[in-house]
Amino acid sequence: MTESRSGGPDAGSSPHPATALDDVVHQRVRLGILTVLSEATECRFATLRDELGLTDGNLNRHLRILEQAGLLQSTKGYEGRRPVTWLRLTRAGRTALRAEVAALEQLVSRIRTATAADDES
Amino acid sequence: MVQGNADDAATTLAALGRLRERAHRRAHGGAWLPALGFAVLLVASAALYRHPLTRPYSIDAKHPFWAGLPDEQVSPVASYLFWFLGTPLLFAVIALWYAWRARRHGVRVGWPLAAATGLGVLVLLAVLAAVPVGPVPDGLVSASGPHWAGLLTPLLPLAAAVIVLGRAEHSRGLVAAGIWIAALTAWLCTSFPLGHLPGWTSVLIGGSGAGGQLSLRPAHYLVLMALPLLVVAAVNLATARRPR
Repeated sequence: MTESRSGGPDAGSSPHPATALDDVVHQRVRLGILTVLSEATECRFATLRDELGLTDGNLNRHLRILEQAGLLQSTKGYEGRRPVTWLRLTRAGRTALRAEVAALEQLVSRIRTATAADDES
Repeated sequence: MVQGNADDAATTLAALGRLRERAHRRAHGGAWLPALGFAVLLVASAALYRHPLTRPYSIDAKHPFWAGLPDEQVSPVASYLFWFLGTPLLFAVIALWYAWRARRHGVRVGWPLAAATGLGVLVLLAVLAAVPVGPVPDGLVSASGPHWAGLLTPLLPLAAAVIVLGRAEHSRGLVAAGIWIAALTAWLCTSFPLGHLPGWTSVLIGGSGAGGQLSLRPAHYLVLMALPLLVVAAVNLATARRPR
């Protein structure tokens, strides 16, 4: 994303929105996980896997990263005799998702403004 | 290349928007049932009044208003039982509904806080109503109403539960419906007779400033309270049934 650092008219006055992007959250699948979880209090592992079209192993790998970063919590339980894992976003997870989406929106707006200014000049 | 980055970010945002909408429908597509349940309970409580639709010559409304609104009840005991059994029963149905949805759709909604709020405020109301008070001297009895003591009504716990459920369901409509019920209840229960308009309101609508009274009866007000809930239920059901 180094190209985007060319910035727009006020590029020197404020930090570039790209600097606000968080490597843990920004990854496409992890962004999807946080988005789905942000809409419910808790979501079942299998539901999240099916919603995002992932394999168990792939989803597990991303969940581990998010859990280590303190962005989500998992709880294991049973439904009848079937083991079930429930996932929920932590407060930090909600904040991180909001910050990521805001940074992406700023990034789009900033690059489009800069491109429009270049086209005019 | 820079434009490519903007397009990538915009594509990601659009994909997130679609994913969020799908997840929202999956998680909150069941809000229609509690909304409908609250509306049914409100409208059904019209049966607790002696004159739910017609205007009698005189009204004898005893405090606290266990029926909900300050009007003549068929039986205070029946009103008390209706709310103190009906409200927990409604929450039991809501609990079963959300448990079924969690099994079927794999998502849980934070409804227990709404149930705790509704039942907690209901119990608080019962405790406050049970506090012994001395008789009010005749000179202090106001013709315009019982004021704050009128707020000891089972309609407020229901309004509180709707607002909290609205937050859990990410539904501005439900929150607004709860605020609407609370506002109507606060107005109707802190003045007497039912639908009393203070002087300043009649000045606003071009009257003499002497105050007045709306010619609506308890059943009308209860339907008015339930209306936003019914709209929320209908919209939620229609949205949930839309193909994904």
